[in-house]
Amino acid sequence: MSKTQPKKGAADIGGDAAGPVDTLDHGMKFWERQANGLRSVMQLIKLIRTDELRRAAEDLGDQYAKLEYFERTTSALRTVLIEKGFITEQELTAKMAEVRARFDVPRKKELPVRKQGAKR
Amino acid sequence: MTAPALSGSRQQGAAPLPSTYTPAPGHRFKVGDRVVVKIRFPPGHRRTPRYIRGKTGAIERICGAFANPEELAYGFDGEPKKVLYRVRFLQKDVWPAYRGPARDLIELEIFEHWLELAEG
Amino acid sequence: MSKHTHDYYARKKQGHGHDHDHGDHAPGEERDEGPPSDYEIMSRAMQELLEEKGVITAEQVRRRMELFEEELPYRGSRVVAHAWADPEFRKRLLADGKAAVAEFGIDMEADRLIAVENTPDAHNVIVCTLCSCYPRSLLGMPPTWYKSTNYRSRVVFEPRAVLKEFGTVLPDHVTVRVHDSNADMRYVVIPMRPQGTEGWSEERLAEILTRDTLVGVTVPRVEK
Repeated sequence: MSKTQPKKGAADIGGDAAGPVDTLDHGMKFWERQANGLRSVMQLIKLIRTDELRRAAEDLGDQYAKLEYFERTTSALRTVLIEKGFITEQELTAKMAEVRARFDVPRKKELPVRKQGAKR
Repeated sequence: MTAPALSGSRQQGAAPLPSTYTPAPGHRFKVGDRVVVKIRFPPGHRRTPRYIRGKTGAIERICGAFANPEELAYGFDGEPKKVLYRVRFLQKDVWPAYRGPARDLIELEIFEHWLELAEG
Repeated sequence: MSKHTHDYYARKKQGHGHDHDHGDHAPGEERDEGPPSDYEIMSRAMQELLEEKGVITAEQVRRRMELFEEELPYRGSRVVAHAWADPEFRKRLLADGKAAVAEFGIDMEADRLIAVENTPDAHNVIVCTLCSCYPRSLLGMPPTWYKSTNYRSRVVFEPRAVLKEFGTVLPDHVTVRVHDSNADMRYVVIPMRPQGTEGWSEERLAEILTRDTLVGVTVPRVEK
């Protein structure tokens, strides 16, 4: 009989040794508030479930510990939206390229141009 | 948004207030029962943290019956509902190296299918 | 209130909004500083796709963002201030949190609330070790520390050491009760009402019931 337990879920961290808590609340960046708003709407109109998002985040495996909170939740939302057929990977890749171009992210070290009131 | 402070009596014909709790017909355990959390390591989405598996505590309250998150996470409807309990543990019974006072507690919610009556 | 308060929303209310750690913006500004990360781009792209497909509207998202920023963070302190002021309401809040809050006029949507009270013998602290479950409909978004892996990992097995990091030291005769919010329930702490608040209005009481006191990592203080 095996003496080792199955690998712990990525989110099952209660009791793990860890460092000091950064006790300052850093609030949310604008994009994080947008990400939260998006998730919240999708749950409110019952198109996705919290349980599905949690499971998708847990399935990040080794990535889980490497990502920040909203990076995890955004990855999880991506997984669930594709799973349920709301969007496809190809559509998302194309749209991300479009959004990236709109942000006018430079390749050189220049200040990025901010477009106020850009059409979304 | 503030509401007038109601004294506890409600207007006639008012809709019933929503409740934290739901009915749990046929619940297996009662408040005060000593229960032990099963030692199982099923893969996938579980809401019973590893640190509490195998530990013995007491039923603190019956929360009600809820759709099973282990199934909701995968797009099932989680029916039939499972009874959810709050279970109270002494910290020293959970962590062998717990350094705080002997009476410190940890309380969490455990689904009925993860619990057995403790021996003795 | 001390400028060292950990509470983002308390600081925001006081107007200490302009440190570098968060993205407070004047109305009309829609970006954070610096180039967007892949995740920001991903999140915006997902929203745009869903809008284009008619699944959601930008207005729906905007309204949720506004709710989370302008309304939700301030509800909890009002509810608990009312519990301090009205012993019968306090009993009802402890008996059935969701019902009492509904009676108070607040719709907690899907959240199911359990209120736990601090006493001279017991201090409560809340965590969600598995993710970040939190009574969002009562307190808004959880603080960054609540979602951090260090808090989630450690507060269950060394709560007193973690509380100390927040400046909260509890004597040994006070039992610490950690609540791991791991399933359908959500929690709010009813702190002990400090001396020196006799006769205060509920509005004034709410001001010392900062979000951190309602999660249990600090206790309310009366500033001299």
